[in-house]
Amino acid sequence: MTELEAKIRTEAARLLSEGLVDVVVAFRKEDAPLRPQPAFFTNVEDLENLVYNGLCANNLANYLTRFPQETRIGMLVRGCENRSVNALVVEKQHSREKLTLIGIPCTGIIDWRKVVALTGEDILAYEDSAHTLTVRARHQTFALPRQELLHSSCLRCVHPNPLSADILLGEMLPEGDPALIRERVESFEALTRAERTAYFKQEAERCIRCYACREACPMCYCEECFVDHNTPRWTESGTTPAGTHAWHIIRAFHQTGRCTSCGACERACPMDIQMTYLTDKLGKDMWDSYQFAAGMDDQTQPPFASFTLDDKKHFQVGGKQS
Amino acid sequence: MDNKPKIAFFQCQWCLYAPEDQEWVDSRLPENIHLIKVPCTGRIDPLFVLNAVQGGADGVVISGCLPEKCHFKEGNLAARRQLDSFSSFLDYIGYDQERVHFVWLDLQDRGRIQRELADFESQISRLGPAESLATRVPLKEGGAND
Repeated sequence: MTELEAKIRTEAARLLSEGLVDVVVAFRKEDAPLRPQPAFFTNVEDLENLVYNGLCANNLANYLTRFPQETRIGMLVRGCENRSVNALVVEKQHSREKLTLIGIPCTGIIDWRKVVALTGEDILAYEDSAHTLTVRARHQTFALPRQELLHSSCLRCVHPNPLSADILLGEMLPEGDPALIRERVESFEALTRAERTAYFKQEAERCIRCYACREACPMCYCEECFVDHNTPRWTESGTTPAGTHAWHIIRAFHQTGRCTSCGACERACPMDIQMTYLTDKLGKDMWDSYQFAAGMDDQTQPPFASFTLDDKKHFQVGGKQS
Repeated sequence: MDNKPKIAFFQCQWCLYAPEDQEWVDSRLPENIHLIKVPCTGRIDPLFVLNAVQGGADGVVISGCLPEKCHFKEGNLAARRQLDSFSSFLDYIGYDQERVHFVWLDLQDRGRIQRELADFESQISRLGPAESLATRVPLKEGGAND
């Protein structure tokens, strides 16, 4: 048990035993190697199963919308999760007063795929520390540099620190560089039209329509998704090019001004499809047009919900495109 | 007919003030322009635009009322933010932004819609057919395929 884990358990135990929350949402020890699982703790005895390390890949804010509004939730939040919670509070999915956020400045989520690629699948145990991930496999022990294992979204992370946590555990970290996301989008924009389409098709057409990206995403909480609706059917539901393109385009577009770039969609994808280049583009557009970044506070409405008549200077008047 | 560009034309039912214009759009539109009449531009889900694009539209025209003249007060304001962003998003994955054209009409713009459609058609003819995202199988006679 690491020092940080101990602190989390203590705080979680305090919140539960003092009756401040009904449930603590965190991670528990995994059944499959390298995949700690989201867990819901309702009594103090269960907290011995609570774990926290760099391999905790889910965005826990995803579970916020699965509880009734009146449930008092204690939630473990990293930078991205905190922003997702903020965005959900803006959308009135839970009231902020009923939430107790246990914030942890995040040093990045380790991509288990990168680990398995280096060590093979026979993993018996692992230990995550500040700079190295030590993996004990059946025949060999590996000491892997942590920085090289981070998920690509985490390498571009701008705000690793929780912005509005009620309880802060651990040391605050330096902010990331916002230019990294921007550069990635701009380098994609710099490709020719044909290259962009080819890349999009190559990624989207591998999709098997399992909707793991949707299930992993905290912002995808619609009761009925547009792809599940069948009277009328809005898109083709199979894995045809038309169906997969439509899913990738519209899924991303529904995140406009809401996506916090946590990368949970890509981590969840069984086909290893790149998706954040789409949502990052929309995030960049929202920043350029409306100076809005999702989840920075729990008050500001996203651009698509906060249109005003002042927009009219952007409208086309007198035949010329603005 | 085949060499003419296919254009999907989304029209807000309140935006054409002159009855002659509306009559022309309703009954004398060229065959290569497919009219989709909506109660307000706010009703146009980006998915509708995508369906047009996937269905093989070489260009999309969206016509609506001026910002302050929306029949439903602010439907067009919502639409503008979304559709503007959506057209630039489509551009990002390879559907030329010039193929999506907005026309915001005012009371005195009698006859303008015909001019705009003609201009847009010649612009699309220059660009050639859009094939990058046209993936939908044409609908069977009488309804959906699946």
